[in-house]
Amino acid sequence: MNVELTELTRKFGRTRAVAGVNLEAGPGVFGLLGPNGAGKTSLLRMMATVLPPTSGTARLLGRDPGAYGPRREIRRRLGYLPQTLGYYPGFTVAEFVEYFALLKDMPPQQVPRAVAAAIEHVGLGDRARAKLRTLSGGMLRRVGIAQAIVNEPELLLLDEPTAGLDPEQRVAFRALLRDFGQQATVIVSTHLVEDVGAACTEVALMDAGKIVFYGTPDELTARGEGTGAAGDAPLERGYSAVLTAARSVTAAR
Amino acid sequence: MSGDDLLTGGHRDAGPRDVDLDRVWLGVAGQVWRRRPGPVERAAGRLLRSPGLARALVTTPSLLLGWVIATAIVLIAGVGVTLGTDQPWVALLAPAVAAAGIAYAYGPGIDPAWELSQSMAVSDRMVLLVRALAVFGLNAVLGVAASAASGAAAAVTFGWLVPMTAVCALALAAATVSRSANVGVVAGSAGWVIAILAGKAADGRFTTVVTDSSLFLPYLAFAACCCAVALAATRIPRGTR
Repeated sequence: MNVELTELTRKFGRTRAVAGVNLEAGPGVFGLLGPNGAGKTSLLRMMATVLPPTSGTARLLGRDPGAYGPRREIRRRLGYLPQTLGYYPGFTVAEFVEYFALLKDMPPQQVPRAVAAAIEHVGLGDRARAKLRTLSGGMLRRVGIAQAIVNEPELLLLDEPTAGLDPEQRVAFRALLRDFGQQATVIVSTHLVEDVGAACTEVALMDAGKIVFYGTPDELTARGEGTGAAGDAPLERGYSAVLTAARSVTAAR
Repeated sequence: MSGDDLLTGGHRDAGPRDVDLDRVWLGVAGQVWRRRPGPVERAAGRLLRSPGLARALVTTPSLLLGWVIATAIVLIAGVGVTLGTDQPWVALLAPAVAAAGIAYAYGPGIDPAWELSQSMAVSDRMVLLVRALAVFGLNAVLGVAASAASGAAAAVTFGWLVPMTAVCALALAAATVSRSANVGVVAGSAGWVIAILAGKAADGRFTTVVTDSSLFLPYLAFAACCCAVALAATRIPRGTR
């Protein structure tokens, strides 16, 4: 298992953003669904070793991210796209991706080819020497994806990766996810249900810091059948049905 | 890789049918698109033994050209005022300027890619350290040059380096604890102004803070405490097991 989380909790003051999450994930594309404020980003940030958990246990790529040496090793094999991508406006696309390839401790001789491959992978070859300040939001998102995949990570964490992408780019991106999912564990946080249906082999639905559903997209779809839950597509109806059920259980308590 | 290698993807003996054009293109594009490190980055890469750290160093927000020019202008103005008033204003300005630079070396809101750099194998604390050292070193060089030019301040040229260490450490500690560079700048500047005013109250001279060598040990002890605070503030707690 590349990701093993046990009772992982993160508090901000009195708020429990993530409340005792248990999760195991091996190679494949794993969707993390949920409404805004469900705790998806906090969970992803903990898996990216950016945010330490308040309590609970995490093992990533078979290592303990709490210890310096193993954490460094995890980070070498990690790709992370944060929800808000900060960037240096004066950098070109290639310079930005190269910068993070170097910070990921990639052997310098491998960096130029890896940078070119990542940029081509996200379809930005014709803009490789363009300054980041000149790019559209969708292009910047693709730059963020390029830096995340430049080291061919074993664990790829993507927070709202399709935000700002047009339909054509989203289709291409889903193919990229499936590609990476052959060998790596890809965890995609999103609130776009159709992304999950098209690209993910497994899905977890979070609400109020907890995982309230875990299964395949087909199983999530089945939860919505005959319930009259809101939604334009079968998967959306499953999503709504699970959320409604989880909230009614919480309210009853 | 030579030009021939680029064209053939490293397979010199391969016939045209065996050429993997994608691979060739990636080799060519990688070489064309890559950033050529400047002399500072190349020297830093050799010194730090890490191309990643060297690249992080030259992308320091507070080492950008605009900041360096502003620092130089402040210190040149200090030279002018020092020569005009016969008071060592360079010695009094340099620590505050350096502290501001240190505060702007790192952190959310200042370094755009801060969150991303926290997930990198090259430790963000190491990035902070080399950036802080670079800013400190640059300011020290500029300050020494300005002091030497002013003449009147020659006696205290080195006297202010120790207080500068303490003020920079204070700015760094405040910036990392509060996660705000502006708080660091305010804390460093305020700390230095208070020290100057305290010196003035003690023996009637503004320059006591940079001329009284008996203060050096307390300055260094204070700097050590502030560095410990900054280290604690940038620590990732174990807490995962």
